[in-house]
Amino acid sequence: MRVYVLRRLAQSALTLLGVSILVFVILRVLPGNPARMLLPEGAPESAVEELNRQLGLREPLVVQYGLFLKSVVRGDFGQSFQYRAPALTVVLERLPATIQLSLVAMLLTVGIGVSLGILAAVRRGTRYDVAGMILAVLGQSLPNFWLGIMLILFFGVALRWLPTSGFSGWTSLILPGLTLAAFPTALVARLTRSSMLEILHRDYIRTGRAKGLAERRVVLHHALRNAAIPVLTVLGLQIGALLGGAVITESVFAWPGMGKLIVDAIFFRDFPVVQTVLILSATVFVAINLVVDLLYTVIDPRIRYS
Amino acid sequence: MEHRIRRFARIGRREFLALSGAGVALGSLPLPAHAQGKRSGEIAAGLSERMLTLDPANHYSISATSVLRHIYDPLVDVTNDSKFIPALAESWRAVNNTTWRFTLRKGVTFHDGTPFNADSVVFTLKRVRDNTKLIKSFVYQDLDTVEKDGDYAVVVTSKRPFGSLPAHLTMLGMLPPSAGKGEEAFFAKPIGTGPFRFASWTHGDQIALTANPSYWKPGVPRVEKVTFRFIPELSTRTAALRAGELHVIDRVTPDLVETLKGTRGVKVLDVPAIEAQRWIFQLAKEPVKDQRLRQAISLAIDRNVIIKELLRGYGRPADNPVPPGLIGHASLPAKVYDPEKARQILKQAGLTNISLDIVLMKDLYPKQLEVTQAVAAMLGEVGIKLNIKNLEIATAREQRTAGTYDLFFSGWAHMPHDPDWYFGQWFTKAGSEKLTRYANPRVEQLIVEGRVPDPKVRQAKYEELERIVWDEDAELWLYYTVAIYGVSDRLRNFEARRDYYVLLSDVSIV
Repeated sequence: MRVYVLRRLAQSALTLLGVSILVFVILRVLPGNPARMLLPEGAPESAVEELNRQLGLREPLVVQYGLFLKSVVRGDFGQSFQYRAPALTVVLERLPATIQLSLVAMLLTVGIGVSLGILAAVRRGTRYDVAGMILAVLGQSLPNFWLGIMLILFFGVALRWLPTSGFSGWTSLILPGLTLAAFPTALVARLTRSSMLEILHRDYIRTGRAKGLAERRVVLHHALRNAAIPVLTVLGLQIGALLGGAVITESVFAWPGMGKLIVDAIFFRDFPVVQTVLILSATVFVAINLVVDLLYTVIDPRIRYS
Repeated sequence: MEHRIRRFARIGRREFLALSGAGVALGSLPLPAHAQGKRSGEIAAGLSERMLTLDPANHYSISATSVLRHIYDPLVDVTNDSKFIPALAESWRAVNNTTWRFTLRKGVTFHDGTPFNADSVVFTLKRVRDNTKLIKSFVYQDLDTVEKDGDYAVVVTSKRPFGSLPAHLTMLGMLPPSAGKGEEAFFAKPIGTGPFRFASWTHGDQIALTANPSYWKPGVPRVEKVTFRFIPELSTRTAALRAGELHVIDRVTPDLVETLKGTRGVKVLDVPAIEAQRWIFQLAKEPVKDQRLRQAISLAIDRNVIIKELLRGYGRPADNPVPPGLIGHASLPAKVYDPEKARQILKQAGLTNISLDIVLMKDLYPKQLEVTQAVAAMLGEVGIKLNIKNLEIATAREQRTAGTYDLFFSGWAHMPHDPDWYFGQWFTKAGSEKLTRYANPRVEQLIVEGRVPDPKVRQAKYEELERIVWDEDAELWLYYTVAIYGVSDRLRNFEARRDYYVLLSDVSIV
């Protein structure tokens, strides 16, 4: 087990190095010039040149990468071109908003998605099943943009129950949380349903029922635990995606999260911020994958790594 | 409770009207002392563009200019009709063509109590000139010496005539010299001499400011607190205004005006902006370097249809490269719609099978794609094919630099209420080298001569050069935009600005 974890960690380090090279090169191959994006429309070429030099973009690519790697190892991701502040600070400032929103969306996803999936599987073919699956299809097919605006107009403008947008207090989390959770909830609901249906036909479930276990125990203990493996995999991936930011939801709700930050950074060719976000989210992704793989052994004792 | 608030509200309004009447009658006399005690309430504004910095020298963002105008005072302010009025400078005059002398206001203090004086001006101007990392640095490269003349006067000389200096200074807040000791720490919690003090800034979300009780202008500010929220998404900004969370929003588009007008408690204010929507030509490139083709294109476009149908009337046909109100503007012969004449010109010039590329900076200007599609159809009528390339902004700008375009949708807001920047950028050889490739020695000479401080000389030079570029059809001037604001009817004295600023120092709330 320890060898396995060490090997995985080494692989992760290599993956991250690859990511850093890829991000670095792609950004610089893209058409567009950071200084020209920073300066106002039609600033003189001499000013563009001077600013590019100040930003360190006139060095050869290899030198730039070498300097970048050297400082990243020391925890310095460079200065954001747009914000003129350390890129890491700029990114970390967005972290609380991103984490709060992801957490709410994840709780909603697990709570609603898994319950809906179980209900639909256990009551297969009934009204509950149909209603649950219609909701799931809607959740997966409604564009976030439209859903967000509709929620704002209804709960914010018409009823005035909840704030329309912004980042202030727990009430402002509800609408973006719901919007963001719509898709993964639907996904998880459908996955739980199909996974549960498969398990519920297994022999050991019949055995459980035959020996007189309560239905509740059969479903939640014997079936759900076995059905949880694929759901867990998907959840892991979704957490990664959520932490990487939810561009559209953040835009609609003027949420100061990571998604909008990175899109703007790409737009304005703010290389240090893009690099920081991508490398950090790659790290999180890799870490979550590792944790999910290890969690399998907890949920399913048959899985062992050596 | 609500009833009581309303009653207070009525009193406040009546008193306010009385006071503003007094203000008109008494001219610039300070308001009576009791007016200063009437400061109350909070205003929340929603801005379309995220603010990235608290450093007044390090941006050309209109949102940031609006917000920072509340924290810092510039030397000079500009009114909505483009008149330059005293702020921290009580007066200024051109000693000669390359020397300006600013006399400073006395008795002004920064938020920490240190006095404002000539040292602050010298520090601020030298900083923006010498630190070429700053975004505004390139504008101030012509500054030569910046010296104080006593504690309350500053003499600035420039290497070349710099007539637009007072205009540029409207966008540059004055810093205390102590800012130089540690800029990062200073701009994390900045101080200025402005009507509001910095309170907090949640990046990407909002900035909160509280009233500066010892502001030098009596009776200002009128509210205890202002919050600027950054909401780039227009439908969200609109929703927040309609829900009563915001009291003013900027950059409303014409198609949302009816929705806002239909909302109780919300009104719409608009004003012709100092912004022109124009298309530039790559003038070194065939076939658009041929003036006859450019003239034919201009004749083939029905500007009134664009304004009426696509902009719902929120636009005005351009009658000069520079919008009315700015120095140099003169009404020039209208660019008429005459497709028949356009066809004739093309036929006589033997220009057939013309196919042109127009590059758009994606989503930058409201309705730009629709306008371009409409123009493409109009040009199709006279036999010109227009290929629309709607590209991501950075990519589009690279194409403009490389010159791989025929036409380019390129709006221009005439900041800082002065056309010198526009002329220098687009109509001098050095400025237009990577843009339009425009070159005309006479125009270039007029631009240089128009840089002197004397407004009469400037007006004459600009009128002459405008006539030349207008007759050359050097650009395609389509229309001037209209600035539209959504405003709560609880706000008093809010002014829809021609420069898209949101200024709240003189605004009160009932």
